[in-house]
Amino acid sequence: MLTGYAEPRHAAESMKHLLPLRAGLVAACLLCAAAALPAAPAATAISAGGPAAAPNWSGQIAPILYANCTTCHHPGGAGPFSLLTFHDAVRWGSQVATVTESHYMPPWLPEHQGGAFADERRLTPAQIAQIDRWVKASMPEGDPAQAPALPVYRPTWQYGTPDLILKVDQPFALAAGGADVFRNFVLPYPLRVSHTIRAVEIRPGAPEIVHHANILIDRTASFRRQHPDNWQQGVPGMEVEIDAGNAFDPDSHFLFWKPDSPVLVEPKGMEWRLDPGNDLILNMHLKPSGKAETVSAEIGLYFTDELPSKQPMLLQLEHDSALDIPPGARDFAVEDSLRLPVDVELLGIYPHAHYLGKRLEAWAVLPGGRRQPLITIPDWDIDRQSVYRYRQPILLPSGTVVHMHYIYDNSDENVHNTHSPPIRVEAGNRSEDEMAHLWLQVLPVHTPPGGPDPRLLLEESWMRSRLSKEPGDAIAHYNLAASLAGQGRFKDAIAAYEQLLAAHPSDARTLNSLGATFESSGDWQQARKKYADAIAARPDACDARFNLARLDLRHEQATEAESQFRAMIAQCPPDATAHSGLGVALSGENRTQEAEAEFRQALAIDPDDSTALHNLGVLALEAGDLRQAEAQLEAALRQQPGDADAHQQLAAAYAQSGRLPDAIAQLRQAIRLAPDQPEPHASLSQALAAAGQLHEAITEQQAALALDADDADGWNNLGVLKARSGMAAEAREDFRRALQLDPRHAQARANLDRLPPG
Amino acid sequence: MSICAILCPLLPAVLAATGPFGLDLAGHPVRQLAQANTRAVVLFFAATDCPIANRYVPEIEQLTRDEEQSGVAVWFVYPNPADTAEAVRAHRARFAITGNVILDTRHTLARMAQATVTPEAAVFVPGPTGLREVYRGRIDDRYAGLGRERPQATHHELQDALRAVLAGQPVPSPVGQPVGCAIMPLEHFHR
Repeated sequence: MLTGYAEPRHAAESMKHLLPLRAGLVAACLLCAAAALPAAPAATAISAGGPAAAPNWSGQIAPILYANCTTCHHPGGAGPFSLLTFHDAVRWGSQVATVTESHYMPPWLPEHQGGAFADERRLTPAQIAQIDRWVKASMPEGDPAQAPALPVYRPTWQYGTPDLILKVDQPFALAAGGADVFRNFVLPYPLRVSHTIRAVEIRPGAPEIVHHANILIDRTASFRRQHPDNWQQGVPGMEVEIDAGNAFDPDSHFLFWKPDSPVLVEPKGMEWRLDPGNDLILNMHLKPSGKAETVSAEIGLYFTDELPSKQPMLLQLEHDSALDIPPGARDFAVEDSLRLPVDVELLGIYPHAHYLGKRLEAWAVLPGGRRQPLITIPDWDIDRQSVYRYRQPILLPSGTVVHMHYIYDNSDENVHNTHSPPIRVEAGNRSEDEMAHLWLQVLPVHTPPGGPDPRLLLEESWMRSRLSKEPGDAIAHYNLAASLAGQGRFKDAIAAYEQLLAAHPSDARTLNSLGATFESSGDWQQARKKYADAIAARPDACDARFNLARLDLRHEQATEAESQFRAMIAQCPPDATAHSGLGVALSGENRTQEAEAEFRQALAIDPDDSTALHNLGVLALEAGDLRQAEAQLEAALRQQPGDADAHQQLAAAYAQSGRLPDAIAQLRQAIRLAPDQPEPHASLSQALAAAGQLHEAITEQQAALALDADDADGWNNLGVLKARSGMAAEAREDFRRALQLDPRHAQARANLDRLPPG
Repeated sequence: MSICAILCPLLPAVLAATGPFGLDLAGHPVRQLAQANTRAVVLFFAATDCPIANRYVPEIEQLTRDEEQSGVAVWFVYPNPADTAEAVRAHRARFAITGNVILDTRHTLARMAQATVTPEAAVFVPGPTGLREVYRGRIDDRYAGLGRERPQATHHELQDALRAVLAGQPVPSPVGQPVGCAIMPLEHFHR
């Protein structure tokens, strides 16, 4: 029932006789109007059961609306109308009563689970009854002076001015009518430095037509590459598939926008990262409003200098391959389960189906057998889908099995059914296809020190689960192999990659990863072969070309490396590392000028390419251009603070400029980074000696010789330091040691002769 | 009340051949809903602020264009007191509405058609004594209730009714209730 006016309907064509015109008109209407009005007295009769006076807007209704409705229902908000003023409340009162009674509003799908979820939006039965009584009592205002203060909503960014605003390149024109639109917009991250993101706010442009939106992070710009011609206009589709790239960097956050939660603020320590080259993909569900709209979405990003200290991960249960729903089926069940190999805290959950989903349920069975409910959605509605975050994280110990059980209704009784009459429905990306997904956000806890990244163990478990359902799932197979390699289980990883190659023998990415795994396991000949196989399979296998060239460089095969880097430059998109690698190869062939040109080319593509900066610094140092050397090496170290060699080179530049304390500081850094290398100790010894600190210089030279006792120069240097310290006898032993190692060491011989006879 | 509860469902809805039926945007009474060659009159009950009614605007505009040649006159009827000429003018501009408008300031048409919500449609055919209502109800079955919405309509009941009228066939009645925003009673405006 929608209004107090609703009367039993009659079939117009069944009316056989006509009343006289005017009389009929007047009589009918007066009577009907009279009939419609006394709705209120009827309600009074109902409320007469209780002693309470009818609620009024100022005292009872406004507080309910302000606490539960007006975050969306305010002018400019995402709700289709405002409920801020008394006048608004009267305008929409009968609808408010209807939709609160039916629990359509406030939008909240899960069953009440003892307040398990944060931001639960649900009216109490008493509040719902109060609204109903107010409407039936003709919606009295009460004393306006008693009404709560009008809430204030910012028309602009809720969280303040963002540090970076990304805008959809081309505004999207949404037609006035027609079916809902699911579209994916790509927003490239434009900065050349990484940032940690502590909050994100999505401004969809025209909030009243945006049902929900989801941000996905595309670390490799793969979606843009999949859709080179239309990504700027937005790509249709409900879901997107993203290539995660080669690094293990699993999705970790739900970046889900719905009308009442425009700002997503991450808990401390759980911020997320954006790197140069990343894309944000804004997946939007748009509902035509009746007038042509322009959607011009913006994403506001809020930075922090803190680095995230916790690494959550998104896990998925799914069983799309089981979705083959016959027409008319009312209770088609789909299940999946996933065993957790590590202790985790469950932070949030996101059940997802399309229009046939009816009942979506998930629970966990803990190792002791206890059943832990996770979520139950008794009456699924994709229009109100959401991510649900737990008020308190739920601890799921290792060995817990998470279950999902979804019921689908492909009958005519399901009003959401996209087909009438129903047709057979399978899994797919279009809205009329179906999905059976359950996403979990988990945070690994109680991780034992020294073990592998627990997310790799979760990934392994997840991928094995996928393969048990779909043995031919190549992506799952690949990810399984990669997770094994990441754990250092090279033999298992190699076996898994080889098994995948048996089905897809010329898959360049698998060949390249197999090569990398061989390389990590120490078998560089096999690695070289697999990289070459990858290149033979696909001449544009850029990662394999890079890996092969790098491997050749490492094994001092500069000519081979040069030709690989040149091929990479010819075949692949502009890449600074190809040019800086070529520069290193050319340096190895003593073609310094050409090398320098390549390093400069690398910096033109990426001013932060540390290899190019480092090597240009070394070349400047060799050319005696100390200022240039210092500047390049300092820049290289800003990119790669852990590069011990760059610290040593910079120390050399400082020492030659007479900046001995700076040189000593750089060498101490190098020693800290590479404590088992003798060279930095020896260099530090020289710098200390130059600074007049002979005693410390002797100690450092001894440290260098402790790491490499066969260094004739080192023994000679130690002898010199001791001689200068008046320790002639010890010095003599050191020079003799140098001559034992190298009988033709002229300096040691001369120094020995120069010592006073003892 | 009791009289109506018994009688109203049986009373045929009939409109006089000539009005006044309400006001046009210039404030003049609308006296004619049908021209000499009109074969059916469609009243589309609209509201400037009702999201569901607004979602149907493109369909009604399309219908107006498609059926004009068949002698179908479509009227956008605004029954809510807050929908003044100024508000409706702005609404027409925002939603690119070109169809004929009546401000149903005294609920003459809403009462006659027994319309209760926006969007709702009524179809009348000219007869010897005036306009006889042959259909009243929802436009289609897209909304099964507030918050119960099909991805797209599966039965286009208004269109079917018009087709039947034009073919001289009996007009089927709508299967479900219209869903939308209550038409505001005049007394709310006068409080």
